[in-house]
Amino acid sequence: MPFNGKSGKFNASISAVEVGCGDKAIKIGGENVLPFYTFDAPIENSPKVGVMISDLGLENEPAGVKAYYEGCTTMADIARKAAAMPGADFVCLKLEGADPNGENKSTEDCMAVVKEVVDAIDAPLVIAGCKNGAKDDELLRKASEVAQGKNVIILAAKEENYKGIGAAAGLAYNQKVGAESAVDINLAKQLNVLLSQLGVAPANIVMHVGTATAGYGFEYVVSTMDRIKAAALSQDDKQLQMPIITPVGDETWNVKESMASEEDMPEWGSQEARGIGMEVSTAASVLASGSNAVILKHPTSVATISKMIKELM
Amino acid sequence: MGKFIVVGERLSATAPSVNKAFTARDPEPIIQRAKQQLDAGAYYLDVNIGPAENDGPELMKWAVQLLQSEFDNVPLALDTANKAAIEAGISVYNRSKGKPIVNSADAAGRIEYIDLAAANDAIVIALCNGEGIAANNDERMAYCQTMLERGMEHGMEPTDLWFDPLFLVIKGMQDKQMQILECIKMISDMGLNSTGGLSNNSNGMPKHIRPIMDSAMVAMCMTCGLTSAIVNPNDLRLMETIKSCDVIKDNILYADSYLEI
Repeated sequence: MPFNGKSGKFNASISAVEVGCGDKAIKIGGENVLPFYTFDAPIENSPKVGVMISDLGLENEPAGVKAYYEGCTTMADIARKAAAMPGADFVCLKLEGADPNGENKSTEDCMAVVKEVVDAIDAPLVIAGCKNGAKDDELLRKASEVAQGKNVIILAAKEENYKGIGAAAGLAYNQKVGAESAVDINLAKQLNVLLSQLGVAPANIVMHVGTATAGYGFEYVVSTMDRIKAAALSQDDKQLQMPIITPVGDETWNVKESMASEEDMPEWGSQEARGIGMEVSTAASVLASGSNAVILKHPTSVATISKMIKELM
Repeated sequence: MGKFIVVGERLSATAPSVNKAFTARDPEPIIQRAKQQLDAGAYYLDVNIGPAENDGPELMKWAVQLLQSEFDNVPLALDTANKAAIEAGISVYNRSKGKPIVNSADAAGRIEYIDLAAANDAIVIALCNGEGIAANNDERMAYCQTMLERGMEHGMEPTDLWFDPLFLVIKGMQDKQMQILECIKMISDMGLNSTGGLSNNSNGMPKHIRPIMDSAMVAMCMTCGLTSAIVNPNDLRLMETIKSCDVIKDNILYADSYLEI
């Protein structure tokens, strides 16, 4: 009997979400197969790579990142340089300076940065908060307004602040809403239900389902993403068919493998190479587990991951 | 691990208002009942036009087109003893949301409904029944086997035959209830799908008891592997039970709002 190969494509698909405007706009999601299973059916929108920049500038960045942005004096310069990074599809501006436990910058100061970056680049943009729920509520509602017309992703609405951020980003200013949960499949679904009940169209939601650095409880991240894609595709669960975006860089550069100096850990070798290694291996893993976009810091990581995606597609 | 499929039973010519609407081709009451069922979580709708001896084909076409145009190609179970009416219904049926269901065949006089389903790439509800009600599970499973073979001879996928063990009324046949559950388990163990008019178990009971009994029955049936039922989706207790069982069986992913979706 001749062998008849059966396609593993599903009757359900992940929703395709467009980010940005004009020629540079990108689409994430849209596939009806498992990650990179292009042999089952074509994946129209390949996973995308974003470059994270911070409103705090370059001071805390690793040497290789500083070197790449050399000569940049303003946030506009940094944003333009990030958008031009080989392999980059979009830019992510993180407003970490707003953190009340850090610099505690005012919302007005942060919005000036948002405005500067929005005006400087035409690449698709993600605007991320400072991870403090109350401050992000104020910050991201305002950022939705300041970036009006740019079709940005607002990262992110969480269980405690989804109403304000969801209404501003998803309803009032027509942005895309990032729905963030911390490695919890049930909450990931619940947040999508809540945002939908608020009136945000499913096509305007992307999920940030949480991440960790490879080696740090990472199997929970993998099983969360696996289970979400299985529910979305094989069970046609409409409340989980939103594409997944995963900020990788700000996790992986804060673990000991990336932070321990060469003086302290001579046997571990080059600190920068270790940091890139952690960023690349984590990004590759979350992409293989179903992330439709990753956000990275280091130019070498961005180049490596975008090459990997190209080769696998 | 598919989600339990609820087939809404409320579009039936046995209900006087529905019968009247079918006869008069009055869309409003039909659409209203269909909407109530879909809003409550029905996936398929059963369209029972009765024997429809005079105008069956024309009536079924009308009903299929009415419901599918109004509700985004809602999948339907075509329920009548009139074979020509089922074929006419399928001829205008849009299958983008699911194959049509032929309701129903048995292992005796109505075995040709399996051929009809096979010829039209449809699903068929196969009553584990011959002449008269099966006496025990040996008989039920023999009928099941006969119909399975018939379907496969005609090129059907085994999963497109949905076997109905025939739910029996508790008031009168209380001692047979566990047999039905065991029958469902045997069907499930063979990897086959099952369905049935589950609320028959509570026939004749007081109105306030029926949702309780139906919910208990559906939970026990789902444990045994029942994959679908033809029920009243506007029975809230029953639907909440089905959704909860779907969560417990890992057919759907839990979220705090799971009862609202």
